[in-house]
Amino acid sequence: MGLKPRGSELTYQIVIFFVALVVSISALFPLLYVVGVSLTSMPELISRNYFVIVPRHPTLGAYQRILRNPTIWNAFAISVARSTIGPVLSLVIMVLGAYVLSVRTLPGRRTLLMLIIFTMLFTGGLIPRYLVMRRLGLLNNFWVYVLPMLPDAFGLLVVKVFIENLPDGLLESAEIDGATHTQKLLFLAIPLAKPALAAVGMFAVVNHWNSWFDALVFVTRRNLHPLQMVLRNLITADNFHDAAIDILGDMTRVDTVSMRMATVVIGIIPMIMLYPFLQKYFVHGVFLGSVKE
Amino acid sequence: MREIVTAKKSGTLQELVPRGLWERMKRHAELYLLFLPVALVYIIFRYWDISLGFIAVFKEMRVGQDVWASPWVGLDNFRMIFANPNVVRTIRNTIEISLLRLLFGFAPPIILAIIFHDLVWVRFKRVAQTLVYLPHFFSWVVLYGLVFALFSTGSGLINNLLAALGFQRVEFLLSTGWFRPILIGSDIWKSMGWGSILYMAALTNVDPGLYEAAVIDGAGPLKRIRHISIPSILPVIAFVLTLTIGNILRAGGEQILIFYNEAVFEVADVIETWVVRVGLGRFQFGVGIAVGLFQSVVGLILIVIGNSVSRRLAGRGIW
Repeated sequence: MGLKPRGSELTYQIVIFFVALVVSISALFPLLYVVGVSLTSMPELISRNYFVIVPRHPTLGAYQRILRNPTIWNAFAISVARSTIGPVLSLVIMVLGAYVLSVRTLPGRRTLLMLIIFTMLFTGGLIPRYLVMRRLGLLNNFWVYVLPMLPDAFGLLVVKVFIENLPDGLLESAEIDGATHTQKLLFLAIPLAKPALAAVGMFAVVNHWNSWFDALVFVTRRNLHPLQMVLRNLITADNFHDAAIDILGDMTRVDTVSMRMATVVIGIIPMIMLYPFLQKYFVHGVFLGSVKE
Repeated sequence: MREIVTAKKSGTLQELVPRGLWERMKRHAELYLLFLPVALVYIIFRYWDISLGFIAVFKEMRVGQDVWASPWVGLDNFRMIFANPNVVRTIRNTIEISLLRLLFGFAPPIILAIIFHDLVWVRFKRVAQTLVYLPHFFSWVVLYGLVFALFSTGSGLINNLLAALGFQRVEFLLSTGWFRPILIGSDIWKSMGWGSILYMAALTNVDPGLYEAAVIDGAGPLKRIRHISIPSILPVIAFVLTLTIGNILRAGGEQILIFYNEAVFEVADVIETWVVRVGLGRFQFGVGIAVGLFQSVVGLILIVIGNSVSRRLAGRGIW
């Protein structure tokens, strides 16, 4: 609508502008507040009754306290490892499944597709999964973070729909030249499906980065815990001071409030850094194509 | 030219001639080989769980004993679900929390999508969208950190505001009355922006001429929402509703596991948290498996029903 709004149109625009403004501020405010508190010393917090967005005497003390502990860096390394290895392997499975299931002449294609979709609607439950992981020797094993996430049915469907929607003839023309399916997959389907693979891969990275539940259930060895799990133990602790001693081995008096908030910020920063890339993909709506099909 | 065309035609014709299934499968052998790793991970990490669950649920599960060696007990594990008041409470809490999430969380993404679609100030819109989509990418751990910053009794912003205004401090995080509002409110805060994207996509597919014609006919903004925007997102509404109803026995256990504490178990304990804490944590495998399958079976039935209702009412289902 290129018209200049007037009358009721103008009122409407003003109302929805204010609603959008309030929603945006409410999305931003908690983040600013947490960052503010994390940069403020305990005496200043108390003297200002915790009403702090911009600290008068900003200090990185809380961050130094947390980041000097090897526990955090070890957990960070585990998170980075699972968020790179996991998505790469998931993508391999997705693109193989997506390519094969996009070949319409394949006998049994519909059945295979239904069996994959079924896994989105029906699960065996947590305890059977636990028993399977135990049987496979994956308890207290790094691969328990990666392998159970390989069957990503939703991602597979997104890539499949993308391959099916490629301009007609791109894949068929190779058939005339006598290319095998493996060649077509490697040299045509994968390069052409790159936007879908990038989008799905990005979201796999986010999923892996934010996961802690699998660590809680399958991993008791603390030096295998990813960052989110360590952050969880700190952030949800009743008594942050005890938790810091227990988890970080930090025996000195700590500014518990700013340190807890610094922990939250450490959990947020990687996502903020990834966000511009993510936004590029979901705004282009690679995902929505698959939902509409 | 004609020769080429006929040659091509006969080629495809030959391909389409139905031969034996075995013949056709043999011709696709390479594809089956490519699919093998996919089949393996789905069998090992999805179908093994499911089949193990269906066998183990009819057995008496003992710690340290193999599933196969355990004795069959028929439906005892399912009976134990309803004989255990704690489990019954978790089922009731699960359904209540799911319905509350639906009741309060359903409209905000739709309203947001309509607002973003109608806003004419594009530059502001971009910034606002960037901000409201962001929380979707935070983990529940981070979300709880934000909730703690605002609601904790001693250091929480809201309690300090209350104290400064002369009110009593409220133990929000330990209160059975406040647990659900905080749980559901923070979920809406996290996911409404992201949820609006689906509706936005449906709205951008509407022919802009429709809106222009409505303006010329003198339809105001509210009339356009009622007669153009809402009808055009109806299929998406049906889609989301079907999925939500199918998940009624899943109340967002990952979030609750982070947010709850012993003081609020009464209103917070749901099937997922119970299975982790008691089923797995205290080795009540039998009931844990039974209640897990109960969730899946009920969910599947509801989704199939929801799908056929949605097909009848909105003209399309989720498959």
